[in-house]
Amino acid sequence: MDMTVLLKRVPDLVEDLEVDDSGKALDEDSVSLKLNEFDDHALEEALLLKEGGGGTVTVIALDGEDVDKMLYTALAKGADRALKVMGGDPDGGNQALAGIFVAALDGHGGDLILTGVQAADDRDGQLAPRVGALLGRPCIEVVTEVNPGDGKVTVHKELAGGVVAEYEVDLPAVLGIQAARQTPRYAPVSRVRQIQESATIDTVTSAATEGAGFTVVAMTPPETGEGAQMLDGVDELVKVLDAKGVI
Amino acid sequence: MAGDVLVLAEHFGGSLGDITFELLGMGKTLAGEFGGTCTVALIGGSDAMAEELGGADLVLRLGGEELADFNPEPYGEALLAAIEAKAPRVVLIGYTSMGMDLASTLAVKTGRNLASSCIRVEGGERITTTSQLYGGKMDVRSDLGTAPCILSVLAGSAPADAGRHDGAPTVENLDLPATAGRVRFKRFIEPEAGDVDITAQDILVAIGRGIGSKDDIEVAEELAEALDAAVAATRPIVDAGWLPKTRQVGKSGLKVKPKVYLALGVSGAPEHLEGMKGAATIIAVNTDKNAPIFNVAHYGLVEDLFEVCEELTEALEDR
Amino acid sequence: MLSSAERVAFILLVLVCSALAFKGFARMVKIVRRGRAAQRSDNLICRFAEAFIDIALQRPIFKARPVASFFHALIFFGFSFYVLVNVNDLLEAFVDGWSTIGGGPIASLFNLASDLLSMAVLVGMVFFLIRRFVVKPKVLTFNPSVKLHPAVAAGGLRKDSLIVGIFILMHVGSRWLGTALHLAENGHSDPWLPTASAASHLFAGLSPAALDTGVHVCWWLAMGLIVLFLPYFPRSKHLHLMVAPVNLALDRRSPRGLMDAVSDVASPGAKTLTDLPWPQLLDSYACIMCNRCQEACPAHTSGTPLSPAALEINKRYTLTDHAAELASGASAPNLLDAATSVDAVWSCTTCYACVRVCPVGNEPMMDLLNIRRDLMMDGAAPDELAEVLRSLDEKGNSFGDSPRKRARWSKPLDFKIKNANKEPCEFLWYVGDFASYNPDCQEVSRTVARILTAAGIDFGILYEKERSAGNDVRRTGEEGLFESLAEQNAAALEACEFERIFTTDPHTFNALKNEYGPYGERYQSIEHYSTLLLELLENGSLKVGKRLGGRATYHDPCYLGRYNGGFDAPRRVIEACGVELLEMPRNRENSFCCGAGGGRIWMKDHDDMTERPSENRIREALELGAIDSFVVACPKDLTMYRDAVKTSGNEGKIVVKDIADFVAEAMELG
Repeated sequence: MDMTVLLKRVPDLVEDLEVDDSGKALDEDSVSLKLNEFDDHALEEALLLKEGGGGTVTVIALDGEDVDKMLYTALAKGADRALKVMGGDPDGGNQALAGIFVAALDGHGGDLILTGVQAADDRDGQLAPRVGALLGRPCIEVVTEVNPGDGKVTVHKELAGGVVAEYEVDLPAVLGIQAARQTPRYAPVSRVRQIQESATIDTVTSAATEGAGFTVVAMTPPETGEGAQMLDGVDELVKVLDAKGVI
Repeated sequence: MAGDVLVLAEHFGGSLGDITFELLGMGKTLAGEFGGTCTVALIGGSDAMAEELGGADLVLRLGGEELADFNPEPYGEALLAAIEAKAPRVVLIGYTSMGMDLASTLAVKTGRNLASSCIRVEGGERITTTSQLYGGKMDVRSDLGTAPCILSVLAGSAPADAGRHDGAPTVENLDLPATAGRVRFKRFIEPEAGDVDITAQDILVAIGRGIGSKDDIEVAEELAEALDAAVAATRPIVDAGWLPKTRQVGKSGLKVKPKVYLALGVSGAPEHLEGMKGAATIIAVNTDKNAPIFNVAHYGLVEDLFEVCEELTEALEDR
Repeated sequence: MLSSAERVAFILLVLVCSALAFKGFARMVKIVRRGRAAQRSDNLICRFAEAFIDIALQRPIFKARPVASFFHALIFFGFSFYVLVNVNDLLEAFVDGWSTIGGGPIASLFNLASDLLSMAVLVGMVFFLIRRFVVKPKVLTFNPSVKLHPAVAAGGLRKDSLIVGIFILMHVGSRWLGTALHLAENGHSDPWLPTASAASHLFAGLSPAALDTGVHVCWWLAMGLIVLFLPYFPRSKHLHLMVAPVNLALDRRSPRGLMDAVSDVASPGAKTLTDLPWPQLLDSYACIMCNRCQEACPAHTSGTPLSPAALEINKRYTLTDHAAELASGASAPNLLDAATSVDAVWSCTTCYACVRVCPVGNEPMMDLLNIRRDLMMDGAAPDELAEVLRSLDEKGNSFGDSPRKRARWSKPLDFKIKNANKEPCEFLWYVGDFASYNPDCQEVSRTVARILTAAGIDFGILYEKERSAGNDVRRTGEEGLFESLAEQNAAALEACEFERIFTTDPHTFNALKNEYGPYGERYQSIEHYSTLLLELLENGSLKVGKRLGGRATYHDPCYLGRYNGGFDAPRRVIEACGVELLEMPRNRENSFCCGAGGGRIWMKDHDDMTERPSENRIREALELGAIDSFVVACPKDLTMYRDAVKTSGNEGKIVVKDIADFVAEAMELG
């Protein structure tokens, strides 16, 4: 099975995110980008599928700072090919990004395209179903397990309440991965550095695509409403619990 | 500017989900602002479900029993047919596991704009949405202009009661379009019965990423024991295999409404908040004073969760 | 003395047994040479001379277990002298008329020595046999989950010990008995042979023929046995008497805190036995299986499957099992199949206690680090460790927190700490991860900052440019990440102007002092803050007006103490504050690790853990009685021991403090 994993970088949420002077975007100085953790799970699931039944794994990402390292890391983990799309707007939203990826993959992307179920900055829908729709392929989101079959895959999709629905999906297809069957593997830096010496990253120029047809007018930290009444120490916490009659 | 609203009903196991009524309530308000109607698209639903949708101006039924179980392919085609038939200005879909399969696909197929993770929608001349992004750390306001659009709305963004209305709704049936049958529903897998039913607890001690390592769960468990409570968790804790799935609270886990929800090291991502916003009292302990959990919590404590666990356990045992 | 027939028989025996023994030793040399390269051939004369002196003084063995070491010394001196005795006995056997009995003063002294030292060996040996077979001390047993070679699990060590014990008793005992019979034969006692003379009276009634037969039998039992034993040597723990001196002479001379550089980038670690550097193969032959390393090991003490002793023993038994194939170039068994388990590998705290205590110069810890390097290259780190390493790679800290928040601990201070990236400062303070991000340690960091400010010290920190120094990253086997962190830190430091550099973190201290050599010269001069505080106290910059009183004990952090000899400064700082210092039984070189090192602090406790090392240590401290404070000079220790006091249920009995807390109190800083 030939697979493509779409990788996207998102702001790391451990940072105290701040809004820039325009009031419409994140202050770049407050942002550090990292691989969307769901995409990491998508890559892991693809690698597990490859290890289980053969095939290839291609990873694709938009160019940007540290993207090479991210792609080399994917190669070090076991991906076969890395593709970097030059010139795309990383802030263009998923509508634009889906178009860019589809064009970069020549409208193909192998038997199975996997990416994260969602990302922290998804303001115009999710990448997987957008790519699926552009390619005219079936897509399932919130997938937690993929089992290969003949010309199809059987997937587990998480619904609410811990219930899982099982579907059989004809290939080619697109999946939005919620969690891989195992914790994404660790690529030792030593190996990444070695790969950096020996492997190459293919590049392709971004196609011009249409972005989200609407604009952000304001970005603000959430209104706190009344907010929490801040307690000073465990003693006060005990008093609250007492007042609620639970102890 | 006039326009109608189309709401997608969501059901599972023979009954409508809360999200349906939340969206219906929201849809009615919007339709009121537009001076239009609010239609609910009920795909694969039952007569009983239709009767619960009295709040809608129209219930558009597509398919019946044969589509009782969700399948993104026929549901997508059905919803597309509904959109084409009714040409609503706004389509409201839940930002749920089912909704995530449909909203983006339909956005591509209909060429409509899609705003996701919405917690507020303001109608009128232009449509303005507020999306909760970046793990709940930012509210992003978007102007979708006057063009027809699709909005995917976070569960719990509006009260479900506003959408609940008795009365016999007008029902219209719409033929299902044919589908390619590339996705086949096989079965549901129920979660294994857990040792504890966290939805039935008065007190929950919930742990999030702040817990650090599996060993540290012990301190939370000791506290839970002292409180006569159960331990619940966020998705990453369950994904790491530290606690069973039956303890997961949130979008893909369970919805809980305990008297007291003690959130330890829980940052407060929207997916988690969805599952516990209904708790009567929420107490959050986190070292990050900017954690979004403090926005929904009633009480907050900026402290190291281990210290709090240990001190609190001790204080309770001393009583 | 011997008949011609006996002489011929003896010579034949020597030829056969020597040939067999030679074969065994030749294989051993070939096997050791299959290990990876290591530089140990510098100053060979000096190395052997030093080893000779150390061994002659029995220094390596007296590092622990004084009683057993004393009895070992008896056997050692006796056996050493027995080389002369054996030569003499050969001369007696082959040179007609050769005898020391009734000889001149030299012969008499020789007799006296041989008589007394025979007793010494016999007493020593009986002690060890009683110890192993009657007393059966717990230190000679392994935790149930320790991986053991099947022969070891089946009691191979006891069998070997018994054989060696009986051999020594027979060899020395027969020789002594032969002397007694000889004296009886000649009908006189010799004041230079007091014990043999005393025994000779027992045989007064025997016929001359019987006595003569007895003398011959004893000679054969003493001398024949040693020859017969030669081929068994390479298979026996007794081998240590030959290999240990070589191993000690060829020991590591680089700083303890410097890990060997990776020789093969594509396979940086050890998967099979022969992937180990050759001195670590030699280690297994030197091992006497005394389990001292295991006794000092915090991992084994806390009940986990790691035993450094079992590792060496398993290596040894495996090499012996496969000696012929290995000597002829066959591929060696995997270390994780033959020598140790994955759980054991990750249980090591890299505290160096096993290496330090080993009487024969073995380095079992280095094997574990080599295996870690191999596992890591395959990406096979425990999940929780992998997550921390990912954070260290992406964010430069082990807390998964933002690098921008690194200096946030300094915000509550009423002064601003200089940004060393932007302005020159006299002292550059390398704060380290725990002191920057852990809430308890942050409090100490602020205390240090206040002390230095009060002393008028011009200091700065790297703010968000500082990354983890990578000491423990390297010890998890993630060589590449260590290099990456070191490069980033060196680049940041290179851009700063400072005169001296210090750190509050012993792990950082070790990395910069010993392992940042390839990244720049000047990091080697890094100081630990204990040294700096002492200097400021002694030169009067810090005015400690108040004598605090109270009694405290001090815990030596591994990477400050055992690794880098930083024992005195922290103690003197405590005493300068007017606090009485009581030593725990395990102190200084013998200090017991808190359990956090080598990346352990990032991993979960092993399921078999019965008592955390830190809890064990707190118990040790409390047994001192009447102490108020448990003092540390390491941020990781602060968190480990504060936790341990709580988890061991000793809250309120003892307070865990940093040395800086005392200084601040004595200075009466608000």
